[in-house]
Amino acid sequence: MVYAVFAPLIFAIIIPFLSRIKHKVHTGWLILPVPLLIFIYFLQFVGSDFETARQTIDWIPSLNIALDFYLDGLSLLFALLISGIGTLVVLYSIYYLNKEEQLGHFYTYLYIFMSSMLGVVLSDNVFVLYTFWEFTSLSSFLLIGYWHYREKSRYGALKSMLITVLGGFSLLGGVILLTIETGTTSIRGMIEQADLIVNSDYFLFILIFLLLGAFTKSAQFPFHIWLPDAMEAPTPVSAYLHSATMVKAGIYLMARFSPIFSEVPLFFIILSIFGLVTLAWASYMAVRQTDLKGSLAFSTISQLGMIMAMLGFGTSYAVFAAVFHILNHATFKGSLFMVAGIVDHETGSRDIRKLGGLMTFMPISATLAIFGTFSMAGVPLPFLNGFYSKEMFFESALDLGGYSGAFIESLITAIPIIAVVGSIFTFVYSMYLFFGTFRGEYKESELPKKPHEAPFMMLVPPMLLVIGVMVIGLFPNMFNQALITHSADAVYGDEVAKDIKFWHGWDSPAFQMSLIVVAAGILLYLTKNKWHHIYRVIPGRFNFNRVYDWMVEKIESVSNRITTAYMTGSLRLYMILILTAIITITAGAILISDGFNFEVQDLAPITAPEVIVASIMAIAAIGTTVARNRIAAILILGVVGYGLAILFVMYSAPDLALTQLIIETVTVVLFLLCFYHLPNLTTNNNSIVHKGTNVLVSIGYGVLMLVIGVTAYNSRFADTISNFFMENTYELGGGHNAVNVILVDFRGIDTLFEVAVLFGAALGIFAMIKLRQDKGAK
Amino acid sequence: MNNLAILPIILPLLASVIVAFIPSKLNIVRKLSQALMVIFLIIVGYIAWLVYHNGVIVTQGGGWDAPFGISIVADYLSILLVLTTYIIATAAVFYAPHSLSDQQEKFYFYTFYFLLISGVSGAFLTGDLFNLFVFFEVLLMASYGLIVLGNGKAQLRESLKYVLVNLFSSMLFVTTIAFIYSLVGTVNMAHIAERVEAIPAEQQGIITGIGVLLFFVFAVKAAIFPLYYWLPNSYVVPNPVISALFGALLTKIGIYSIFRVYTLIFVHDTAFTHQQLFIWLAIFTMLFGVIGALSTNNVKLIVTYNIIPAIGFILMGIGLYSEDGLAGSVYYLMHDMVVKAALFFLIGALVVAAGTKDLSKMSGVIQRFPLLGWLFFLGTIVLAGVPPFSGFIGKLLLLRGALSQEYFLLTIVALLSSLLILLSMIRIFIRGFWGEKMEGMTNDNRKVHALTIPAVFLLAISIFLGVGAEYVLPYVDTISTYLLDRTEYISAVLKG
Repeated sequence: MVYAVFAPLIFAIIIPFLSRIKHKVHTGWLILPVPLLIFIYFLQFVGSDFETARQTIDWIPSLNIALDFYLDGLSLLFALLISGIGTLVVLYSIYYLNKEEQLGHFYTYLYIFMSSMLGVVLSDNVFVLYTFWEFTSLSSFLLIGYWHYREKSRYGALKSMLITVLGGFSLLGGVILLTIETGTTSIRGMIEQADLIVNSDYFLFILIFLLLGAFTKSAQFPFHIWLPDAMEAPTPVSAYLHSATMVKAGIYLMARFSPIFSEVPLFFIILSIFGLVTLAWASYMAVRQTDLKGSLAFSTISQLGMIMAMLGFGTSYAVFAAVFHILNHATFKGSLFMVAGIVDHETGSRDIRKLGGLMTFMPISATLAIFGTFSMAGVPLPFLNGFYSKEMFFESALDLGGYSGAFIESLITAIPIIAVVGSIFTFVYSMYLFFGTFRGEYKESELPKKPHEAPFMMLVPPMLLVIGVMVIGLFPNMFNQALITHSADAVYGDEVAKDIKFWHGWDSPAFQMSLIVVAAGILLYLTKNKWHHIYRVIPGRFNFNRVYDWMVEKIESVSNRITTAYMTGSLRLYMILILTAIITITAGAILISDGFNFEVQDLAPITAPEVIVASIMAIAAIGTTVARNRIAAILILGVVGYGLAILFVMYSAPDLALTQLIIETVTVVLFLLCFYHLPNLTTNNNSIVHKGTNVLVSIGYGVLMLVIGVTAYNSRFADTISNFFMENTYELGGGHNAVNVILVDFRGIDTLFEVAVLFGAALGIFAMIKLRQDKGAK
Repeated sequence: MNNLAILPIILPLLASVIVAFIPSKLNIVRKLSQALMVIFLIIVGYIAWLVYHNGVIVTQGGGWDAPFGISIVADYLSILLVLTTYIIATAAVFYAPHSLSDQQEKFYFYTFYFLLISGVSGAFLTGDLFNLFVFFEVLLMASYGLIVLGNGKAQLRESLKYVLVNLFSSMLFVTTIAFIYSLVGTVNMAHIAERVEAIPAEQQGIITGIGVLLFFVFAVKAAIFPLYYWLPNSYVVPNPVISALFGALLTKIGIYSIFRVYTLIFVHDTAFTHQQLFIWLAIFTMLFGVIGALSTNNVKLIVTYNIIPAIGFILMGIGLYSEDGLAGSVYYLMHDMVVKAALFFLIGALVVAAGTKDLSKMSGVIQRFPLLGWLFFLGTIVLAGVPPFSGFIGKLLLLRGALSQEYFLLTIVALLSSLLILLSMIRIFIRGFWGEKMEGMTNDNRKVHALTIPAVFLLAISIFLGVGAEYVLPYVDTISTYLLDRTEYISAVLKG
């Protein structure tokens, strides 16, 4: 199984090398066997005697992350879809993309996707699942952006990435919570502890996180907006990722976790409401589309909504129907996308207004399309699998119970009605798709190319899918026993045995609903011209695309506005902000922890000379801020320095005083030398508010330092280590001057690196001056 | 005792002096620097190996036992970060000749470069608060020298702000050290920790206050909200190799120092300092950082702004102060150093390739430079924390820590900023690399290629840190247990 998952990835890595020989053979042929072999591998598990399989490889045991592949019925269904449709899509793409395209890129992305998607459906470890999940988003991003020189491709790629990765991160949050709560990273382990999860304090968070992940990936309302724009990808990609497989990852996730959630009313409410709204809204939107692929995209969204709703219903019948429809949808929608691609390829247009009357030119494609669309519409014919699943959908919508509460009860009454409305529109757009494209008037002048039938091999993949549609339709129970039941068992968590019957009798309510759908659908379709203006008006401006566009656009301009508001480049503003933060937070911290100890009685008495020197220093310090001339400012600043030297003398530290004097003198002289080269000081005409702020911040900072200083002085918790130095300077250090011995011996490393600082400073200044001279010389 | 711990500081200092003597013999200087860096990297790797197998190595400077001399402490955390520093620096020394002009190299680039490494290693390794200040000065002085290299007008303007803000924080640093000395009478960190612990609980308020003050000293350097204003522009103006060194190393020194003092010394009131203050600041740092990254079209500035949310993530783990939180922070710190350096390298190559920094003027670069484009894409998803790469492991640990302590807002902000980080970077990929081939791309393919290769090395490490997490994670777990239990550090320094 591990090989099956990673084989496409390994090929993805060597494809760029394979594609070097593309001028001889189409790369697609070289790699076609990979998905085919995987398909055959998984096929051998199919059968009524199906047994689960498991394979584990350690990866990061410290985090309980292991490549734990577990194959049950649900995984098997998906694995078969992924590899089976994968094979057909690769075959199809060989004719769809010609050799001049960057095939290496295309197949690399496609195979990365194939691996990731297999990984998603086979991983039992939530973190591995999440890893593969993100990779499906990334490969989808790359595939949508395949023709990246198109503006719309880039737009669609970004949109799909933002929305699906948002969901991915949310999923991450959800699975982390699940692992914290259950202490395991295995999904099966979590299902065993379902009660614990449902009763957990975080249950709501878990549910919302997971739902967000599933809804974004499976394009549920209102996150569906990325899928129509994803149609910029080459059609094989649309058929594969954006209808048959990747978009079902969200469905898979919900199905996988439904044994945990199925008993929770909230799960039922959210899933059925969102699912049905998606179904109804998207099927209505599909009717409005004029682009074939756009219409199919909305159709996919609405079908996903339908499956989601059935999972939400959670009855054994609904679950069975959901799983069955996953298979059916993949077959008919895959074939329809391929046919749409063929039409596009052979006529040069996908615009339904320009197409028409193609039946005579493309009879085989038309035949395929008729099966696909009629199956999608749920036309009651025994060889269309879509009819069965639609019928089962209605039945499960009618058969809801087991929940109580006024809201739920009214919801249960509303569900069949919404289901019917959604299905009517499904019927209408299905008819549009077929009749609009293949019947009616042929408009030669509108088409860029003269239409003709596609090459035979290109028709093979959709043909196989249509055969699938019919075989499932004719012999539903054959698949039922071997595959569907096992899947449904895995989702429902219990035995689900169902026979699929074609004929339920005239009095079966579900059949009556089907008839209503067909009748109303035909009526709506025949009178379609009268409805056009309504389609145009609703939803009009109300559109989630606008919300997305608005957000993406705003996020940049708002960020820009916020950032430029404080990143003005003004150092003064930065310092004010920094100091304000320091003052308020530090003072706040000390106040909260009651740390002030401002007592002055322990301090040394203050003498008159000290007061005089200190006042002179203070006055001089204030003086520098108001000086209008650089030289004046620096001289006044010198006063502060010399005042400090005098204070050192008073406190009997002559060596420090001496050092201070030298430094101060050198600084003043240097400054004076430099200032000779500088322009005059510009007088700042600041407002009172501005000056007031400055004064306030300065005073605040000064007071804070004073208070902390005094408190620190008052709170001596231990003896200083300085006594050691005083006592041992001579004996151990061999010198009389303690300061000197500390500098060169006890703390020699400090001194060494202070010397290094001077070394750096000297070189820096030298480099600056020299570089400037060199530049001047040029 | 064992003198090995001081080697990562002394060796580059010596190298710095040696290359200062022959500044204009560029060929020799380049080859010599590269050779020396590789040798140093091996030595540091060996020391790290020793630390992990035999325990903490303490060098007591001049043979004076702590707390009287200066202790250089190569413990699990510091040596890991020194090793990461050397890895990045090695990549940088191979990148530099292609990125800098001959003239810039001649004006002592290599001297400042080695001095910077010496200062950074010293700051990681020292066990003495005042000595930390000294190493801050060393690395700042080296960074002053580097930031003005080239002498552009914008460079001088921005470096002035950089110097002034850092000068202010240095002053505050010394003042705070004085306060601490006044309180507990020592500057050796292990000794401070021991003495702070002995202070009765009702008198610890002032310690909290001074701790917060010291936090701000480091927060200015680490670029934590609301103190990071100086960072974006001053990191953008110098040459990419210098930006890479700054972005990968300098802010990380700040956050490392917070790490050190807030796991060793100021742990008496974690409910307030860590779990209130740090968590809130982490939230704002992440948010304002990504907002900044989204605000501009200057590709280099986008990467620079992305330094800030990463710091927020690391601070978040310190704030959680749990095993998961600290391990996550350490992992994230390592990851971010490597990937930030790689991204700055790639951005440097992109700017050379496209001939502009303005994203709105770029397009289709990937058609000429596919390797550069794909590496950038890889770097972007590594940065956003997509598994199985390095960013994911740290993020997973951090989020697990946050959620198990019920920080839901924090988690949501962290997830959201991951998304916005991705958006800010993928914009460069979509608008700059994708699209129609632009006019005015460079013809110097070889130069772009040479600028791309060092990033390959760094990204390979990023992938290893993710896929091969099992080889690294046990060490990181050791670190977090070790940090939570301070006794090993204290006894290694004081009684060693």
